[in-house]
Amino acid sequence: MKKMKTWKQRQNRSGYAFMMPWIIGFAVFTAFPFAATIFLSFTNVSSTILGYEISWAGLSNYITAFFKNVEFLPALGGYLRMAVPYTFVIVVVSFIIAYVLEHIGKLRGFFRTIYFLPVIIMSGPVMKKLLDTKVSDMQLLAGHTYSDIFIIQMIASYSRAAAGLITDVFQQLSTILWFTGIPIVLFINGLQKINPSLYEAAKMDSANGWQILWKITLPIVRPTALIITVFTIVQLGMFDINPVYSLIVTYMGNTSGGLGFAATYAWVYTLVVLLLMGVAFLIFGERKSKVKHY
Amino acid sequence: MKKHLTKKKVSEKTMRILFYLLLICVSFVFLEPIFRIISKTFMTPEDVIDPGVNWVPRKLSLNNLKVAIKVLNLKTTLVNSILFSGALAVGETICAAITGFALSRYEFAGKKFWYVMILLCFIVPTTVLMVPRLMMFVTVQEAVKYTLIGTPIPQLLMSIFGQGVNSTILILIFQNFFNLIPKSLDEAAMIDGAGPFRVFVHIGLRLSLTTVLVVFLFAFVWNWNETYVTGTLLRSGLQLLPSKLALFDSEFESAVSSTGSAFKLNEAYKMAATFISIAPLLLLYSFVQKKFIEGIENTGITGE
Repeated sequence: MKKMKTWKQRQNRSGYAFMMPWIIGFAVFTAFPFAATIFLSFTNVSSTILGYEISWAGLSNYITAFFKNVEFLPALGGYLRMAVPYTFVIVVVSFIIAYVLEHIGKLRGFFRTIYFLPVIIMSGPVMKKLLDTKVSDMQLLAGHTYSDIFIIQMIASYSRAAAGLITDVFQQLSTILWFTGIPIVLFINGLQKINPSLYEAAKMDSANGWQILWKITLPIVRPTALIITVFTIVQLGMFDINPVYSLIVTYMGNTSGGLGFAATYAWVYTLVVLLLMGVAFLIFGERKSKVKHY
Repeated sequence: MKKHLTKKKVSEKTMRILFYLLLICVSFVFLEPIFRIISKTFMTPEDVIDPGVNWVPRKLSLNNLKVAIKVLNLKTTLVNSILFSGALAVGETICAAITGFALSRYEFAGKKFWYVMILLCFIVPTTVLMVPRLMMFVTVQEAVKYTLIGTPIPQLLMSIFGQGVNSTILILIFQNFFNLIPKSLDEAAMIDGAGPFRVFVHIGLRLSLTTVLVVFLFAFVWNWNETYVTGTLLRSGLQLLPSKLALFDSEFESAVSSTGSAFKLNEAYKMAATFISIAPLLLLYSFVQKKFIEGIENTGITGE
């Protein structure tokens, strides 16, 4: 006679039965490749008729990437110069839009539809075409650049790099805003979860809107902001506007020894991305030490 | 006291007007690229280089669209793109549904661990996975003597096994929706003798048809817009609309040189091609925009 299974055993069995396809896919297509990339980054890979020939190269890929190669570090720097200000602007702007949307009555759905639209049509080639036209439009309207604006020039006299970053952000404002589609929805969702009685209590204590925003709303949406920051970093990495990405693509196309390099680049790039996310955690994560206990 | 109240009301009203103004300005910035695509699509070559023409073309011309349709080989690429994205989306949806069901319904050992892994899958850049994935498929291809690279099979496999584009988000949408279905329904069905799979089909899926649709549409759109994995694994095995758009400039040049005519590539052609490649998505969005937004709201990744 078959033994009756306990509840726990049945839960385990059915749970894993349903999870199986994903777990297999994860092991084969994500976990293994991830580990393999780390390994391959220390090797030279050349593809021959008989398959791939992998030879140990030690740190030479890394040395080439950092010291000998002239394209990798600039590309990585370009990525950081793009990712850091863009992420900042996206998170701040999407919060402001979400906050404002929460405080108007009519047309909320209409505006939300507009702001979500880019999520549907955004793709590498489309973005690339848009950026290209933008550049040619700029050339057409030479003389009307943001760097001519007085405030920007004032900033430029202190620090040229900062002014460059700011003009860059303004020039690409449409492109940057296109990344806010999902963050806005997430922020609205976070804002709606705030208990209205908190606001009432604050109003009773004669707090004004500004104080409520800083003392109640912002601290409560901080976890949401963290998720959105991580999400934005992921999103920004996926498109052709990311310089590292096109570099890796070129190396992957290079069959004679390019794959090992591509793996090194991809791995270093991933470390940088994870580092950025770590910084996001530091900024938005729970700060236990700062909470005062009365 | 009364005066104070009216003063407050006035300031509230100006505030509201400012809010609307801000939203309208931001909307313009959002839509400006799309407006530009549309306006350039209908411009004549003279209008494109005329600094006096900014938004509204002097003369409407359908010539750009015609040329772009021809260069993009629209008939084939459109059908290919729809079938390709559709097939991948079906695979992703099925896997997301069963994975979401497992997470929502069962308390299996190591559930937390797998949940974190699902989230990590989203964070890890696809770039870091592509080199070994490519090598894996090439090796398997050599071993079984059956072409994989250049066919949709690798991506189909990845989608079915839950490693497609943004699979994590799709799983979360399903998990959150299944969480809303009372567990007592499952229990009732089990008492009537239904196994886990029947519970999943008859209770999980039956009640979540709209969620299935939303997830499918998201997967469709994301697969449509994905070019990196497709470019690495499918390459030019299938002519797809977005990848054709990426190659538009060179395709245009070669098409022109073969006919020997004096066409010159300009922004208008590029924008017409861009317009064509996003038009199907715009059409889709105009019908189901609410569902899309609700779908993201239902991921529940902001809560708890």
